[in-house]
Amino acid sequence: MIVPYYHVIILAAMLFALGMFCTLARRNLIMILLGVEIMLNAAALAFVGAALQWQQMEGQAVVLFVLAVAAAEVSVGLALMVSIYRRSGSLDPDVRLTPAGKGAE
Amino acid sequence: MPLSFPIDVSLASAAAALLLPLTAFGIIMVAVRPYRRLCAGISIAAVGLSLMLAVFLLIRHLGMPEPVVYQKSWLAIGMMHIPFGILLDPSSLLMLTVVSLISFLVQVYSLGYMAGDPGFSRYYGCMSLFAWAMMTLSISSSLIQIYIFWELVGLSSYLLIGFWFEKFSASEAGKKAFVMTRFGDVAFLLGLVLLWLQMGDLDIVRLNDPAAVTQNLSPAMITLTGLLIFGGIVGKSAQFPLMTWLPDAMEGPTPVSALLHSATMVAAGVYLFARLFGYFSLSPTMMSVCLAIGTISLLMASTMAMVARDIKQVWAYSTISQLGFMLMGLGAGSFFSGVFHLMTHAGFKALLFLSAGVFIHHFNTNDAFSIGRQGGRKLKSATICMMVAAGALSGLPPLSGFFSKELILGRLLELGNPAWFVAGALGAFLTAYYAFRLVFLILFPKTGDAGAAPDDGHHHHQPAGALAMNAVLWILAAVTIVLGFWEHHVTTFLASALGAGRSQPIGHHPWLPIAAGLLAVSAVGLAWLEFGRKKARQIGFIERLPALARFFAQRWYLDRLYRYLLDKWVYQGISRLFTWNDKKVIDGAVDGFGGTAIHIGTLIGRLHTTMIQNRLMVMALAIVLMVLYFGLSG
Repeated sequence: MIVPYYHVIILAAMLFALGMFCTLARRNLIMILLGVEIMLNAAALAFVGAALQWQQMEGQAVVLFVLAVAAAEVSVGLALMVSIYRRSGSLDPDVRLTPAGKGAE
Repeated sequence: MPLSFPIDVSLASAAAALLLPLTAFGIIMVAVRPYRRLCAGISIAAVGLSLMLAVFLLIRHLGMPEPVVYQKSWLAIGMMHIPFGILLDPSSLLMLTVVSLISFLVQVYSLGYMAGDPGFSRYYGCMSLFAWAMMTLSISSSLIQIYIFWELVGLSSYLLIGFWFEKFSASEAGKKAFVMTRFGDVAFLLGLVLLWLQMGDLDIVRLNDPAAVTQNLSPAMITLTGLLIFGGIVGKSAQFPLMTWLPDAMEGPTPVSALLHSATMVAAGVYLFARLFGYFSLSPTMMSVCLAIGTISLLMASTMAMVARDIKQVWAYSTISQLGFMLMGLGAGSFFSGVFHLMTHAGFKALLFLSAGVFIHHFNTNDAFSIGRQGGRKLKSATICMMVAAGALSGLPPLSGFFSKELILGRLLELGNPAWFVAGALGAFLTAYYAFRLVFLILFPKTGDAGAAPDDGHHHHQPAGALAMNAVLWILAAVTIVLGFWEHHVTTFLASALGAGRSQPIGHHPWLPIAAGLLAVSAVGLAWLEFGRKKARQIGFIERLPALARFFAQRWYLDRLYRYLLDKWVYQGISRLFTWNDKKVIDGAVDGFGGTAIHIGTLIGRLHTTMIQNRLMVMALAIVLMVLYFGLSG
């Protein structure tokens, strides 16, 4: 293994932290979704590293699942966002949707 | 074998006599309150059976050599045992009989008086409770037990004085009676605790044994505990400093007043003194205090009664003064005279109140002048019974009061200091004067002729109830007339318990009965001169001095003084302090807790209610903390 395992872990942790920061700090739903994606990928990276470290294939298998789930999640999430944007004209996470479908100010 | 059998019978009948009214109270209050007649029936039947059992016990123990005690440990705290039991000796048996007799008669009388009252069932329930408390008090075997039932008597009289609680003055009067007697009870309890610490138990028989007491207590301690216990007596029997609750207690129904004044509530105080007579008589200071308080109460209350217009209030003042008279007799060292006056007084005072109740029931007014004007004397049996009772109260010769008063006066004469005798005689004179002032006011109304109009409208007046009321009046009148002639029997019966050592023979002054009779007759004559005869202006000699009359009518400004002290010290001083404490410290602390919780809540709540990112932040933080916790601990 060319890259030491703990480098992989550190990279994954940094990516996770960045993703979390993005999720918590940005005030745009698209950026929050991006942050979530980055966190998911950080976790996937840690799985791959661990699979290499212990020569177990389950880690890589889980990553495939993660990728599939992430793709599904992004498509559903983006669809929701389009819908929210159509209804409220904004992508602010603080926006509240009334039952009538009109965003409150 | 022949010995064990009778003891069981006595115990069983005494216990049954006590439990019956309690059971009646429970049944009435819990089960049958909607059925008014049934309630009255249960209550009267219970107290009637108790009366029979009491008489049975009295007859059974007529010649008993020494007191019979049944005791059982009720509860034990560490080494201390609190016994409950029954002590049968002559004075307790007499008291039990008197209490159950008066309770029974008053309850029968109430059938007429209280008919149609919305609280009829509640009334009978409370009456049963009252009878139970007082009867148990009279045959209690230890002071602790007496204290418990003493408070129960106070409670039930509170309930009955404030019976018409929807009337503001009635509920106030009930409260006043309760709080004022409580002043005395605090002293009583302190005395009990002190005595308990010194003696180790509060057994009445033991407390009356001079050897046991002097062995355990120093003379100063005897005086101190005696004075404290006497404080309770002063409160309960409405003596000098704590007397003002009794006239206000007239707010209750009249039969309640009759019961309260004759055999139960106020008599409990004097009875307690008689119960601990052997103990009190060990301290001469104690006895002089008792004598002094009795004298002051006798004279003060007599003067108040001389100017009162309210018929019930006159009798209330006379109760205070007669209780003072009993305490004088007891304080002068004559056990028998005090107890005998207690008994005769129970009879004639109940009669006075019950006949007053007939007038009040009929004319709907308490004012003696107004009753006289409306033709009070047309109620023949009530008028005659009232005259008999007033005669007994005044100490007119053939009636019961004459004998008992003469005994007390005779004892006072032997004290050596003529001041006591003069005070007692003056009190007796004033008593006869005010009693017959009231009688003449009703008999010979002056202003306005006795119109027949109010009388006509009342002929249909509840014949059955009126019959019961009149029957009770006649029974009590008969008792009042006859009781005096049993003086000798009662003396010997009571003396048998006191034992040869402590019964002091009362010296007989051949001139004393005649003098006492003349005194009473002259007082009645004075009352007749001022109120009775044809041209009388119905203005008493007190009322010629308006300032003095006002002073007496205001009860020597005692009430005002208490009111002032209450407003000035209790309400403005202590209460204000407590209010401040309540508002600032307690409310502040509680409100502070609440306020802080709300603040923290809004702070935390903001995380929940606002942006989704805040929630995520909390979640992330929580996960980090959990990771740190488990990572570091594991």
